[in-house]
Amino acid sequence: MAANAQPAVMIVDDEDMVITSVRAFLRLETEYHIFGFTKPEEAAQFLETNPVDVVVSDYLMPKMNGLQLLAKAKQFQPESARVLLTGHADKQSAIQAINEVGLYQYLEKPWDNQQLLLVIQSAIERTTLLRNLREKIVALDAAHSNLKEIQGKLLRAFL
Amino acid sequence: MTEQAKPAVADSRQLSELYRMASVGRLTAKVVHEINTPIGSIRSNNEVLGRWLDTLSKLLADSIEKGTAPPAKAVDILDTLKSLAAVDKLACDRISSVIRGLKTFVRVNEGQLGRMDLNDLLRDTLKLAGCEYRRRISLVEDYGEIPEVECFPQLMSQVFLNLLVNAGQAIENEGTVTVKTSVEDACVHVAITDTGKGIAPEHRARIFSPGFTTKPVGEGTGLGLAITREIVVDTHLGTIDFDSVPGQGTTFHVRIPIEHPRSISKQS
Repeated sequence: MAANAQPAVMIVDDEDMVITSVRAFLRLETEYHIFGFTKPEEAAQFLETNPVDVVVSDYLMPKMNGLQLLAKAKQFQPESARVLLTGHADKQSAIQAINEVGLYQYLEKPWDNQQLLLVIQSAIERTTLLRNLREKIVALDAAHSNLKEIQGKLLRAFL
Repeated sequence: MTEQAKPAVADSRQLSELYRMASVGRLTAKVVHEINTPIGSIRSNNEVLGRWLDTLSKLLADSIEKGTAPPAKAVDILDTLKSLAAVDKLACDRISSVIRGLKTFVRVNEGQLGRMDLNDLLRDTLKLAGCEYRRRISLVEDYGEIPEVECFPQLMSQVFLNLLVNAGQAIENEGTVTVKTSVEDACVHVAITDTGKGIAPEHRARIFSPGFTTKPVGEGTGLGLAITREIVVDTHLGTIDFDSVPGQGTTFHVRIPIEHPRSISKQS
């Protein structure tokens, strides 16, 4: 999320009705930018160039399943939070999701709007914190390099 | 490939009934997924409707009191709620169609010989098989003008479910299943074609034998095609055969006489 911009939330489900429902709910309750995709491969392409704060994906989808999509999300945007919202709840896919794509939350359908909102809000917060942390690390690195340079100059001046 | 021992259950009708329940049981996880999605939407929409109708009422009451036009937010809420009502209708239709497919299998009064439009039976069964397909498979439905046939509808739906689920499982990733019906002499011909892996030549002679399966242990019982053959050939005095090209796909041809040659119940 750019400074002062509204958080961006991606919803991916091959069922248009899920996207319509979640989008309507979030649109009325929040100011988030919502990006809905029924085709996971198009969502993956979007993620290559467009930053989002959280990706909420279904599991069982044609061509690319939710784990494959979230793996792409992790590759292109490691800081964005990844949430699986699935009607296909089995232990195997849950374990795989947590281990392979560093899942933030695993939610089951039918979902509860307030719980989904809480998960999305805390996911956005986490993403913002991670981005801030990265910026601070970059700033610290730059300051460290500056110090090194100054130290070098000082040493050269006095020795 | 595993070849399991021939089951000890001698009563084929009992076996068929057990298999019928087991095949629905195996589909349950997929049926649950298929229903949970629309239920999720309806539940979410209902919560949004309840909450935002109150806000909308207040906004409209304010406008009426002040004698002003409703605010943009009210129009926005109204449009959103309308779109949710449309989603609810679609979601209910989806649930109904899956339930209708399931009902085909649990009707208790249709163990008798009766007249049935096989096109209708195929459409209902496809709703259930569609849960297995999960949109990775495109369906082509080519229903001809066919008369009602004298058959045991529940048993025939079992035949179609077996063949449709097998067709879906033969396709590893994406593909097409085609269902075609036509009249052929005194029979209705149902052809179910998949673009899957085909049947290996060495397996062809045995695919209708009880206990023969190429599916992994726990997935295939080796009874599906044996029961299918029994229902078509022994119960309905029809025929079942197939064409298969490895790597290209398989077509199963089922031919059921329009008039049952001996209108007797299975019990006799």
